[in-house]
Amino acid sequence: MSWRRLRTLMRREVLATFRDPFTVTVLITVPLAALLTFGFVLSTEVQHLALGVYDADSTAASRQLIADLAAKGTFEPQRYPTREAMQHALVNGDVSAAIVIPPDFERARRAPVPGRRPPEVQVLYDGGEAVLAGNAEGFLRGLIAATTRDLAAHEAASMRAAHASVRTGVEVVTRALFNPRLDGKPFMVSGTFGFVLSFLTVLITAVSIVNERITGTFEQLQVTPATAVEILLGKMLPLGAVFALDVVLMVLVAGIVLGVWPAGSALFFIVVSSFYVLISLALGLIISATSASTAEAVQKSVLFSIPLVQLSGFAFPIRNMPRLVRWVAEVFPATHYIRITRAIYLRGEGPLSVWPELLLLALFGVALMAFALRTIEARS
Amino acid sequence: MTNAPIILAEHLTKRFGDFTAVNDLSIAVEPGTIFAFLGANGSGKSTTIRMLIGLLQPTVGRIEVDGIDVIRNPRRVRDHIGYMGQKVSLYQGLSLRENVEFYAGLNGLSSETLSQRWGALRERFGLTEAEHEHAEDLPAGIRQRAGLALAILHQPRVLFLDEPTAGVDVRSRGLFWELIQDESDAGVTVFVTTHFLEETDYCDWVCFIDGGRLIANAEPEVLRQRYSEGYRIDIAVPPTDRAHVLQLLGTGTQETDSGVFKAAPTLDAELLSTLDRVAARYPHATIHVTQSPMGDVFRRVLAESGVVA
Amino acid sequence: MTRTRHFWSNVAAVAYKEASVVRHDQALLATVLAQPVMMMLLFGLALSNKPANVPWAVLDQSRTALSRRLLEEVRTTGYFVPPRAVASYEEGRALLQRGGAVAFVVIPTSFRRDAERGTPQIQVLLDGSDPLTAARVSGYINQVAATFAVHPDPSDHRPETHVRSPGLIDLRQRFWFNPTLADQRFFLAALAGMLLTNLCLSATSGGLVAERESGTYEQMLALPTRPIEIVLGKLVPFVGLSYLVMLGATIGAGIFFGVWPAGSWFTLIVVTLPFVLASLAIGVFISTLAHTSAQAVFITVFFILPSFVLSGSMFPYQLMPHGIREFGGLFPLRWYQIASRRIVERGAGFAEVLVPTFALMALFGLILAGIRWRMKPRLG
Repeated sequence: MSWRRLRTLMRREVLATFRDPFTVTVLITVPLAALLTFGFVLSTEVQHLALGVYDADSTAASRQLIADLAAKGTFEPQRYPTREAMQHALVNGDVSAAIVIPPDFERARRAPVPGRRPPEVQVLYDGGEAVLAGNAEGFLRGLIAATTRDLAAHEAASMRAAHASVRTGVEVVTRALFNPRLDGKPFMVSGTFGFVLSFLTVLITAVSIVNERITGTFEQLQVTPATAVEILLGKMLPLGAVFALDVVLMVLVAGIVLGVWPAGSALFFIVVSSFYVLISLALGLIISATSASTAEAVQKSVLFSIPLVQLSGFAFPIRNMPRLVRWVAEVFPATHYIRITRAIYLRGEGPLSVWPELLLLALFGVALMAFALRTIEARS
Repeated sequence: MTNAPIILAEHLTKRFGDFTAVNDLSIAVEPGTIFAFLGANGSGKSTTIRMLIGLLQPTVGRIEVDGIDVIRNPRRVRDHIGYMGQKVSLYQGLSLRENVEFYAGLNGLSSETLSQRWGALRERFGLTEAEHEHAEDLPAGIRQRAGLALAILHQPRVLFLDEPTAGVDVRSRGLFWELIQDESDAGVTVFVTTHFLEETDYCDWVCFIDGGRLIANAEPEVLRQRYSEGYRIDIAVPPTDRAHVLQLLGTGTQETDSGVFKAAPTLDAELLSTLDRVAARYPHATIHVTQSPMGDVFRRVLAESGVVA
Repeated sequence: MTRTRHFWSNVAAVAYKEASVVRHDQALLATVLAQPVMMMLLFGLALSNKPANVPWAVLDQSRTALSRRLLEEVRTTGYFVPPRAVASYEEGRALLQRGGAVAFVVIPTSFRRDAERGTPQIQVLLDGSDPLTAARVSGYINQVAATFAVHPDPSDHRPETHVRSPGLIDLRQRFWFNPTLADQRFFLAALAGMLLTNLCLSATSGGLVAERESGTYEQMLALPTRPIEIVLGKLVPFVGLSYLVMLGATIGAGIFFGVWPAGSWFTLIVVTLPFVLASLAIGVFISTLAHTSAQAVFITVFFILPSFVLSGSMFPYQLMPHGIREFGGLFPLRWYQIASRRIVERGAGFAEVLVPTFALMALFGLILAGIRWRMKPRLG
């Protein structure tokens, strides 16, 4: 391999890319925009969720319950005078969940009748917003259970003598490791790296190389003394450097603006990400080799990237998917990269514990680059 | 053939599935000549040239360029050849100068050699003013010449040009062919594909390809002789002088409304001196000599090889 | 009168030509066919926020029938895989650290004694990296614990009814419209909108710019057709195609996943029109911004992405911070997915979707104005 030729190829790549203001803008702003969108916008936790309240009891106990729900800021209770008004609000989407406190709430709790059911707080969700409902459900359960315990503990002290025999329910002390406040941002931010480096990288690479094939410069290149390896590296190293820079920028922006810093080694993360970039670049190259026009390259990239991203665990956990789909997900390099990212960012793991995934990525990388080389050398 | 052919193709065949693009083609190109490879669009021209330079693997056949087996060593042949493709290969976003430096770098030219050669080429090809323009801003004629300059920058022994004058105005085409002929004079072998039949006049050897098959392979003159009515000589003279001119020109001469007409297979020395005498004797007479257009020749060739034109 | 007639016949002529072009555009057809199928498969089969196959670890220091019953009840909820028994607290914690478990349940040695005293307690350690999953899993465990019958009454026939001590608030959930809270319905109800956004935007922006590049646009301008007629003629075949896709997606969701619109098909069809027009108009607007088809492609893709994310099609928009929530209202997809979800999932009639419909029409008008503004000095 000739270093001079490689340098010549890389120099041209750099000049051509950076002289195009559009490309430069896209390369820098899109990853950051994606990061901010996903990290900032999509908190998967529940915050300030409008909760409709129909309090049929209006006693101290019911008011206490409402106050507790509002206390942490998770819910924003909105009271309605009638049940119908509240249901209407639910259908309209003014509130996303609603609770109905029964009229005998306090009384039933204070003077329980044995054999009779305790007061039921009815919770209504808009099942049409299943994701929302699911999230809210989790938090609501937890909150109400906590309120229950507090109230129960307060009163159990006075009731212990009378009702020592019949007792149900186990108290659960819960603690979350790695993310005690259950903040949704780190999860989404770490996933965004995978998204950007899979989708954007493949798209840009495929389009730029297709352009070269169409204009004929690629063919001309094949007739020069440059070898396939040199051509491959000459394309991938400069582009890879740009995307690696993107990764650094994203890590910084995520930290400074969103407050999400990697729990583990940032340097290790950047190194792994750079390697993953090369894998995506190779993919982009392969797509461009099989496309005859820009439109085709884009369609193929998008068509391929959509399942890759959705199934990679970036937003939707792979564990929740049916078994066959989970096997398919394992075939995508993005899946493994995102696993590694989460391990580093969220759990602070290091190379020693993620080496199986790294090895897998390395194998993918070698295979894809060999394939990409073949497409460059192709003399069908 | 006095020298060993510098380009040699034997029984070259290329099949894409059921479709045969090139069918049992054999050619030999003498060094230092301009070899024209003519055919209509889709006749297999580009496929052939791409096989010759090692971009495409033939299904059957042997290819040798400058002594190198192209099929076995496609990479080695690249040091010996220059190539200009149908779409001229200047990178957008780069200036002409930067494109030159790029290809020079790939061909391993030192900077001194580069400045020397480029300095000369720039002058000859009239590219000095355009040197710092971006490739996408260059007009077609300059782009073509630039493409040629890039192809010969590393002074290859063989040049492959694939339809180099497509999309260029007539005047630029003429200039371009002058440059090609300069190269040929300097000893470079030039293999050109084109579908402009008139350009064969610039060439030393012509071959026609149609439907993947070679249907003619000879010097342009020979083809003309064999497949056309040769030359057509029209002399405009007043009726009073016609009889004498008819006599001078000999058999095959006819009288027309404006003068005299003769069809001759070749313009040999005798005929030329006769025409000189006519011109001397009748200074007011105008003499037109026209050749059969190559298009006619081509159609004849096609007809005679059993292909419907 | 003749002018109007000419107008419509011109539009029809251009539309006819466009339709034939589209029919031969293989890349476009592939997109139109392949993407809907793929997205339907993804959203219908694969993607879900509802936890499944949750790995968990257990440290049962009590090792009594009671503790084993509790663990068994957690298991029978169906969300968990068989638990991994660990020998020590550190081992369980390490498992969490490696991402090998989402929850780590610790049952103390004194569990049975505590139960008899009326204060049974367990500890749950969660992997907080994915807060959504953590919250839901925690919720499931909490629910089991809260309803766990410490002393099961032999006369109790129905397993769901537990005798409860007073002081505990019973939590009953009811989901409206979506009894199983399957995420599937949520996604599939919005599928048509996402597909249409993709189709309308890429087809128009790419097509118009490609024409401008190849020069046929200038040719058309030389004819006695007015630019507005040309643009409208171009859009007409895509309106038809959009309806085909919309119907296909809706019917497909019904046949394959049982998600049929609960409301009126007619309303759905009517609401689709302003949405399609608005989306097409955006595509046209993008084409006036881009100079090359590669640029058009990029701008389009990077408009579609925030459209998907901020509209609330995939992630609930109610959870987004206030400013961004409103910003998402600028995307036609937001209003369409609100309307289509209301119709498909809640059986809403025309009255309930008036607001989204008007919003779509307003957006369409706005974008048309933008196009006219950009097209004035056209061909420059």
